[in-house]
Amino acid sequence: MTDTSPIRRAATQRPLLEYKHVRKSFGAFTALDDISLTIYPGEVVCFIGPSGSGKSTLLRGTNGLDPFDGGEVIFDGLVLPRKPSDVRKVRRRMGMVFQNFELFPHKTALQNVAIGPITVLNTDKAEAEQQAMTLLAKVGLADKADNYPVNLSGGQQQRVAIARALAMQPEVLLFDEPTSALDPETIGEVLSVMKALADEGRTMVIVTHEMSFARRVADWVIVFERGKVLEEGPPEQIFEAPTVERTKEFLGHLGWA
Amino acid sequence: MTLDWSIVWLNKGLLAEGALMTIVLTVLTMGLAVPLGIVLAFMRISKWRGLALLSQCFVELFRNIPLILIVYWSFYVIPILVPVQFSAFTTGLIALVLCVSAYNAETFRAGINSVRAGQTNAGLALGMSQFQVMKEIILPQAARRVLPILATTWVSLFKDTSLVSVIAVGELSHVALQIRSQSFRVLEMLTAMAVIYWMMGYPQAKLSDWIRKKFEVKE
Amino acid sequence: MPDFDLTPIMDSWQFLATGVGVTILLSLLSMAASLVLGTLLGVGRVYGPRPMQWAITFYVDTMRSIPVLVVIVWIYFAVPILTGISFPPFWSALIAITIHITASVVEIVRAGVESIREGQCRAGLALGMSWPQVIINIVLPQAAIRMLPAIGSVLSVTIKDTAIASVIAVPEFMKRAETVAAQSYQPMEVFTFAIIVYFLLLFPTTRTVDFIYRRLSHLGRS
Repeated sequence: MTDTSPIRRAATQRPLLEYKHVRKSFGAFTALDDISLTIYPGEVVCFIGPSGSGKSTLLRGTNGLDPFDGGEVIFDGLVLPRKPSDVRKVRRRMGMVFQNFELFPHKTALQNVAIGPITVLNTDKAEAEQQAMTLLAKVGLADKADNYPVNLSGGQQQRVAIARALAMQPEVLLFDEPTSALDPETIGEVLSVMKALADEGRTMVIVTHEMSFARRVADWVIVFERGKVLEEGPPEQIFEAPTVERTKEFLGHLGWA
Repeated sequence: MTLDWSIVWLNKGLLAEGALMTIVLTVLTMGLAVPLGIVLAFMRISKWRGLALLSQCFVELFRNIPLILIVYWSFYVIPILVPVQFSAFTTGLIALVLCVSAYNAETFRAGINSVRAGQTNAGLALGMSQFQVMKEIILPQAARRVLPILATTWVSLFKDTSLVSVIAVGELSHVALQIRSQSFRVLEMLTAMAVIYWMMGYPQAKLSDWIRKKFEVKE
Repeated sequence: MPDFDLTPIMDSWQFLATGVGVTILLSLLSMAASLVLGTLLGVGRVYGPRPMQWAITFYVDTMRSIPVLVVIVWIYFAVPILTGISFPPFWSALIAITIHITASVVEIVRAGVESIREGQCRAGLALGMSWPQVIINIVLPQAAIRMLPAIGSVLSVTIKDTAIASVIAVPEFMKRAETVAAQSYQPMEVFTFAIIVYFLLLFPTTRTVDFIYRRLSHLGRS
């Protein structure tokens, strides 16, 4: 991390993900109002902002689960297709982690991690399970492989969900408020897994309310309000010297001086 | 009052045949009403408005009229509408299937809807197709919720087969009521009928309780 | 498709309309009696002494195994032989349907009562209430709202069960429709008309209960 100038270090590369003039509304409510953003390979980008500011909506539109009304998403140089069979090919290259984990309750931790490669990539079952075991070990849950989600704590479930996303060997990981549904004592274990992934140089887009995590781990922070981008910049700028008054107010409400 | 229970023993063969017919009707009806219910449920959740509406009308109609009326209607009206002459057995079976498919359709639809939307999203986010999401994620979870209700429907169906006796299908109650009117041993035959139903139905009721407990959804 | 001839229905509309009246009366009386008996037995099933719980469970499971047709026929034909007292068909049907429907109500009340958290009872007892007071003032009102949808479907089962009373010639709508169909030789018109009438009776019933439940459901949360 550069500690002198607010320059976007990764910006010399070709963008991995671009949003161009993205719009979305729910009835009369404008959730996203002409958003354009760029995410470069290897970056950890955090979306922050008050609830209802559009940050989760933007993330969910990234892989077409909740398509935008206008504008486009460009992933690895190609516009995100609308046709279901084509968008699927893009989705398997993006991993997604949900606020409520959404592990499959009828499958064990191991089966949850292996199901993606087995059904989508036609990976051999034994091979997929071996790979899943490695990933569970990576998130520190090798001993819980045969447990069903109902027998895991929230933090453990979310770590399994991260392993499930990793199993597809995605080029970008999308996190939708991954710690919002967790008990305070299990938030740390999930954040440290995410920190380890960031240290590996993975591209990650994280919607979060964990400001200290964003400050510590992000390469780039984007502040949302009312469907617009208030401000973007490196964490030291956003958290120490925000250029926009509303950013200061938002961070002030969270007790961030 | 003199009671003569030997009448029950004398007619054991006929009663056994009636009981067997009751079981055959139950099994056949369920065997047909499960696939039909699945088809109706998928029609109901399909994107085509027409199909969905058709399924909804069918389901609401047959859930909201008494089965005995469906039996009479099938018996008297089907022969007028179609040129084929069905036996009483087939007619009774049709009436039961119409009614139970409507119930099953609701059961399957509710089962599918009970799986949270987030589960679909999680599957789609992995790159699964809608079909794969349905097969790998929704249906296995829906099955756990559907099975106990199907078991309850089964027990009701077992009892409801008695209603086709009104069009002289030779199942247990028809047989028993016939013997009653020929022998005038009313109390004996009616009690025997109740006891035979009880002996067959009680284990089924208990089994459905067991299934309900075993498949109780934990989340 | 043959022509529809509605004259038999027009000619006997009064005969049919009073049948609908009997259907409604029989349904409401059976339902009311079943609610009272079912609530008493349901509470007994949960809070009563062990032997009482067993007896009630046995009764409920017995009714779950025997068709309502069998109960109706047995009450109408066998009870007079056994006791020497004979009831008119309407009363026999009322008794039989009540016996049958009460069992369903017991199960619903049991599930409703058991769904109320124990803490609610303890809170009542801590105020110095007696057990009956806790059940009447705290448990049943909360359970009642949760039970509404299930009670609604039992009401629709009750209305459908009254049609089975036609086999002992209770002059309700099903029986009257059969009579008109047989006398006029026009079963298609009459039975199709009967389907419409029953649908108009049953569909709003289920919908109304759903509606009431949605309006009241917030009261049942705890």
